Amino acid sequence: MSAATPIVGKNDFRLGYRLQHFWDFPMAAAFFFGELGAGLCLVSLYYEFTTGLVTGLILVGVGKPYFHLSHMGVPTRSWRAILRPDRSWISRGLIGIVCLIGFAVAHLAITRLDASSWVGLGGAADLLASATWMLTAIAALVVVTYQGFAMSQSPAIGLWRTPLIPVCSLLYGLAGGASLTLVLDAAPFVGFLGDEVSEVGTLLLTLLCVLAVAITTLLAGARNGSSGSRKSFELLTKMPLAAPFAGLTVVVGLIVPAVLLLATPHDHFSAVIITAATLTGFLAFRVLVFKVGVYEPIISFAPQT
Amino acid sequence: MARMGMVFDIKRCIGCNACTVACKQENSLPDGVFFTKTLSEEYGVYPAAGRVYIPTLCNQCDDAPCENACPSGATYTRDDGIVMVDADLCIGCTSCAVACPYDQRTTIDKDMLEDGLYQDGQLTAFEKQGYERFQPGTVTKCDFCSERVDAGLKPACVVTCPTDARIFGDLDDPQSEPSRLIRDRDGKPPMPEMKTKPKVYYVT
Repeated sequence: MSAATPIVGKNDFRLGYRLQHFWDFPMAAAFFFGELGAGLCLVSLYYEFTTGLVTGLILVGVGKPYFHLSHMGVPTRSWRAILRPDRSWISRGLIGIVCLIGFAVAHLAITRLDASSWVGLGGAADLLASATWMLTAIAALVVVTYQGFAMSQSPAIGLWRTPLIPVCSLLYGLAGGASLTLVLDAAPFVGFLGDEVSEVGTLLLTLLCVLAVAITTLLAGARNGSSGSRKSFELLTKMPLAAPFAGLTVVVGLIVPAVLLLATPHDHFSAVIITAATLTGFLAFRVLVFKVGVYEPIISFAPQT
Repeated sequence: MARMGMVFDIKRCIGCNACTVACKQENSLPDGVFFTKTLSEEYGVYPAAGRVYIPTLCNQCDDAPCENACPSGATYTRDDGIVMVDADLCIGCTSCAVACPYDQRTTIDKDMLEDGLYQDGQLTAFEKQGYERFQPGTVTKCDFCSERVDAGLKPACVVTCPTDARIFGDLDDPQSEPSRLIRDRDGKPPMPEMKTKPKVYYVT
């Protein structure tokens, strides 16, 4: 395909690149809430932070379905999305969400509400607590990555057709979760992590650095990949999308929180700014990666020069 | 069992898009919905410029990524290889549309079925009878005029083509016209690197 091959509209009768238009802002928001919520659940499970785990479940159980249902063409049939886990990452992810919520609630009931004493489990309570912890963590891992796998499994969009997409899902989910943990921990009356809060700050800083490497690698791969991925790279690095990508995803989403983590004291105000910046960059990344998804021209019969 | 496929003869296609119109008529497609389009590709610089016409439609892939992506089982492959969408099962998540490398799927919006071709909220008799097959919010695509195929006929686009640039038949029959064309004129599928195993080929 030549550099002159144009980007054409949906019903244009010319051969050219076509922008992906099926997954737009509601889907980007659904992906954002799903990965953020599951990432927060993972971080909260590690630090046994109940407020974070409950918040993560709300993000996954309420925020994500709200935006998914607003995207669905036939929302009343949405339950059918669970029917093909043998083939579809969407089905696997939905099963993961159901398991995440179920196992997390069970874990909270056993550990925080002492449910084991109600049902006479006695000594099995510790075993059940460990088992539900593990199952919740596995389900959260599925939820935080399945959307990335759904994108990378599709051969259609060159930019998405890389293992770095689910890796970015995981990294962003964990980074968002870690940043939200800082905010929730600093908020009054919601419980506290104590000394572990500085560990969370270090975790977030590490994740931001790894994300910078992952996104750079993703772009480098796109630049040297298929014609479609090169076109996506061009869209991300030229106006008008270069401004939100560089400004929001890179500067606001990665550099600002990293600098604040290094330079400012760990108080509630800086935690809010760091979280707002991280999540803004996360959402911007999600929206922009959808916007620059490009279908390659189906075939070309132009004489090769 | 037959494996239905199609061959496009690029040397014969004149870009008249009679196939596009026949398809819209046969399938009663709403405004803005196309199951097939003949695209034009311009190349070169004057005086060595040229244009070639490239028919496109759903490639009815043997390893259809749309079917793999569909979480509800609405997309399925018939025994004769035609990839279908069951509108009663479709949830409109558009995972199939995003998964298709050829961008051959369309969502039917509610407005499409209500505004009518004249955009005045009134449907013609033709539209009323045709739109009954569509459900708003679901995804649709070319199915090789499966009802015509079941009746022993060829798809509307194939029958209409004035230059016989579209050749339809059983790819598993080595003596069928598409099979002979693919063999004798080195037929190429679109985007073989996607590994979708399309059943549509192009010959030049």
